[in-house]
Amino acid sequence: MISFIDFLNNLLPFLYIITFSAYSFDFIKAGKRHFEFARLSLFTTLLIHLIYLLSRTAEFNHPPITNVFEIFTILAFSVSFSYFLLELATDIRGTGPFIIILSIIFQIISSIFIEDLTEVKEVLRNNLLGSHVFTALLGYSGITISAVYGFLYLLLYKDIKLNRFGLIFNKLPSLEVLEKLSFYSAVIGFILLSIAMTIGVIWLPKAFPDFSYSDPKLISSAIVWLLYGLGILSKVFGKWRGKKVIVLSIVGFILAIMSTMLSNFVAQSFHSFY
Amino acid sequence: MNLISVCINHHTAPVDAREALFLKEEEIRNFINEIKGTILTEGLVISTCNRTEIYGLPANQNINSQTVQNFLLQYKAKQTFNTEYFQHFFSRPALEHLFGVAAGIDSMLIGDNQIFKQVKESIEISDETRFTGFLTRKIFDAAIKAGKRAISETEISEGAVTVSYAAVQLIEKIFSTLGKKSALVIGAGETGEIAAKHLSERGIGKLAITNRTTEKAEKLAGKLNGKIIPFTSLKDYLHEYDVIISATSADNLILTKQDIESAMKKRSNASLVLMDIAVPRDIDPSSSELNYVFYHDLDSLNIIVEQNLEKRKKEIPKVKSIIDDEITSFLAWYDSLEAAPTIKTLHDHFETIRREEVEKNVNKFTKEDREKLEILTKRIVNKLLHNPTVELKKNNDAGIGADESAMRISIIRELFGIDKKNNND
Repeated sequence: MISFIDFLNNLLPFLYIITFSAYSFDFIKAGKRHFEFARLSLFTTLLIHLIYLLSRTAEFNHPPITNVFEIFTILAFSVSFSYFLLELATDIRGTGPFIIILSIIFQIISSIFIEDLTEVKEVLRNNLLGSHVFTALLGYSGITISAVYGFLYLLLYKDIKLNRFGLIFNKLPSLEVLEKLSFYSAVIGFILLSIAMTIGVIWLPKAFPDFSYSDPKLISSAIVWLLYGLGILSKVFGKWRGKKVIVLSIVGFILAIMSTMLSNFVAQSFHSFY
Repeated sequence: MNLISVCINHHTAPVDAREALFLKEEEIRNFINEIKGTILTEGLVISTCNRTEIYGLPANQNINSQTVQNFLLQYKAKQTFNTEYFQHFFSRPALEHLFGVAAGIDSMLIGDNQIFKQVKESIEISDETRFTGFLTRKIFDAAIKAGKRAISETEISEGAVTVSYAAVQLIEKIFSTLGKKSALVIGAGETGEIAAKHLSERGIGKLAITNRTTEKAEKLAGKLNGKIIPFTSLKDYLHEYDVIISATSADNLILTKQDIESAMKKRSNASLVLMDIAVPRDIDPSSSELNYVFYHDLDSLNIIVEQNLEKRKKEIPKVKSIIDDEITSFLAWYDSLEAAPTIKTLHDHFETIRREEVEKNVNKFTKEDREKLEILTKRIVNKLLHNPTVELKKNNDAGIGADESAMRISIIRELFGIDKKNNND
């Protein structure tokens, strides 16, 4: 079983690269058959990735959320899976390569450094923790996708303003669509992060009785959450639109990444499990 | 095959010459009635602002494309005409030209879909006037197939190649659905009218027209079910529109950057598209510096047009390959209508059936009778084929035209299922 898991672990980066290449080819050539192949490739990759995650859970007797590299593989899966659902729901074309590339990065890092852990801290076996991590990861996928669409919006906005009618202009959806996709992804991400934080706040005093509210992870997460909350409210009440909301979404994403890195690798936080 | 064609088009003749030979639908019908039977047995007349082209099968051996050209000049121009304006094609080149026209690669705007519709309409006229015959029916079907394949299998018709369409393409890169957007067209001249029509065709939610002369605005607004904005108070309404297209002949700017800035404030900075397709320009180009204002003039729209034309040109080899496929397939069918190969195929077909049946039943006969069986069945087949063979050989007689000959052969091939049998093999 372990050799099967190792095989899938090595295979996944290649599958994501093939999917990325298929979407990139469709982005440049835009043929119906290329798009169908790209979608099929993504579906196959996600299916194999799901089998990999379930196999790991069964073999090592815990869901793959106990170290940063296990979390990276789930992040790779959830980003591509969220995009897959978005593509099915909206039939949007031309944005696949920009999302799948993130899954490639997450999966390559995970595949290189992931270890076959059977012994994990007891605190990491808690069910509430599982819900906390899964909702948080899906939330992060949402804000990641929101940031990507935001970035594409800015690229297209600039190209149209400067009369540059190249690949970006020809292949991306309209500015209005990109803005909507970025906003809805941010809203979904925000809702899931809110749930993750609520679960975290309930679970935290039980797991760590001597934690502090001034913990860097708690503060940085709260800032990110507030930032998205403010951006969404401003947009809903019609005060902000377009570039402003999108820049906020990108800043929120960068802060979220920095907050995770800070709490896991630099600062002393109760959140540093690994 | 003896298909002939005479063409005058934008490659060969100036606009006044093309205009002089342009045939309206009624004129085409009358023209067909006069030419049918005397000069051509069957054929097609295509006439648009860019071309007048006549294709057909000559009624007798003395008729050629020059006869058709003379008839056309006599019918329509009634004046001396530079003969260099005409192109003449015969047989395969005539097919290649017709298929190229239907596929849009001979158009002034390469890949123009309009010509495909015009060719189909011309074919309908031929059908209605019974100018379509057995052979030309097959040719028209193949030409339409080539046109359809060119549109669906290549990018020959992709992208905007006129300024007005480029403007709409650009607007659609900013707004996802025009149905929920509003547009204001300033200027009800020809350019303004085309732009307004394109927006209306693309389903713009709300359309308004303004013009210095109110009557013109009223006329255009009436045609397109639009609203009229008074030209003098135009600036008071700017903020209500997501798209503003300006195409007036005014000498000075109509809208300044300040006008746009103030409209944007009233719109709470909702995106605004400004298309200035006037010469000289109507809107201050520095408006493009404002956030969420997408200002474009003729120069920027021409960039899109040029890029798309370039892309379409690159598709021409693919379209030519499709045309080649369709012509090859048509000529293969046409060649199968030759009398001699058909007689041979017919005899082979019957001989195969005879042999198979004899082989199946040979054991029911004594060894002595088997030779008699061979002779008897061969005799039956020969007798059955005698009349069809004689009739097919008559095809070479002078009195039988190419069309009738092809039809007779085609009927025989179909009746005996020769092609089906060969395909199954």
